Amino acid sequence: MKRRTLLKASLQLGVTGLLFPGIAISAYPTGAFLAKEIPDALREAFGTTDIGESNKIEIDAPHIASDANMVPVRIKSGFENTESISLVVTGNESPFTAYFKLYEEQNFVSTRIRMADTSDLLVIVKADGVLHTNKRPVRVGRNDCGES
Amino acid sequence: MVRTLKIRAYETDGQVIVKSVINHPMETGRRKVKKTGKKIPPHFIKEVIVSRNRRIVMEAFWGKSISRNPFLSFQIPGRKGDTITISWLDNRGNTDSASAKVR
Repeated sequence: MKRRTLLKASLQLGVTGLLFPGIAISAYPTGAFLAKEIPDALREAFGTTDIGESNKIEIDAPHIASDANMVPVRIKSGFENTESISLVVTGNESPFTAYFKLYEEQNFVSTRIRMADTSDLLVIVKADGVLHTNKRPVRVGRNDCGES
Repeated sequence: MVRTLKIRAYETDGQVIVKSVINHPMETGRRKVKKTGKKIPPHFIKEVIVSRNRRIVMEAFWGKSISRNPFLSFQIPGRKGDTITISWLDNRGNTDSASAKVR
C-alpha cells in the first residue's frame, strides 16, 4: 500500500513537473534577451539603468578562461532577501545571459556560460526591491601559449 | 525518451546544495555547417524551473550565451528526504523534467 501511494505521488510529481514551464509565474523577459546594447537590456529587464555598485556581490570566475565556450561562473549575493540574480556578459552579441528568480532564502547560483571575447561580467542583484550591481573582468584565452 | 537531466542534491547545515546537468545542444544560431555554410538554427533552453516538494523555489530564464549541456548549481534551504524537481523548456517547445531526493 505504501509503495502504491509512493508510486502515485511520484507520477503526479512527474506530470506537474512537465506542466511547470507552461505555468511559469513570471514571464520570459524577451526584450532583455534580444537587446544588443547593455543599457537597453537593463531598461528592458529592470526599467532603469541607474544601478548602484556594491561589493557585497561575489562573482567567482577564472581570471583567464581557457575555453570560451565553458566559462564557469559562481555568483553569491551578500544581501538578505535576494529576489533575483541576473548575469550580463558585456562582450557578447546579446549581452543579457541569465536571469534567476529566487523564491526562498537563497543567495547562490552557478552555471557555465559562453563568452565571445575578453570582457566584463556584470551581475545585477535585486534584494528588498533595491538593485545592486558588481562586475568582474574575464580574459578569454584563444591561444594558451604562455601569454602572461 | 532519453534522459536529459542529471540531478544531485545533498544537505549540509539546513542548506541543500543542488547540482545538475542538462543534456542539450544549446545552439546559438551563429554556428555554421562547414560544408554548406548554412547556419544552424538556434535551439536553446529558455526556462528552467526548480521546485522543492512541489513548490517552486527558483525560475531561471536563459539566453543563448549559456554553454552546451548546461550546468546549474544552487543552494536552497531544505532537509534530507526533500524532493527536488527540475524541469526545462526550450525554444522549440521541447520539455523534460526529473526529480531527485535530497541526501
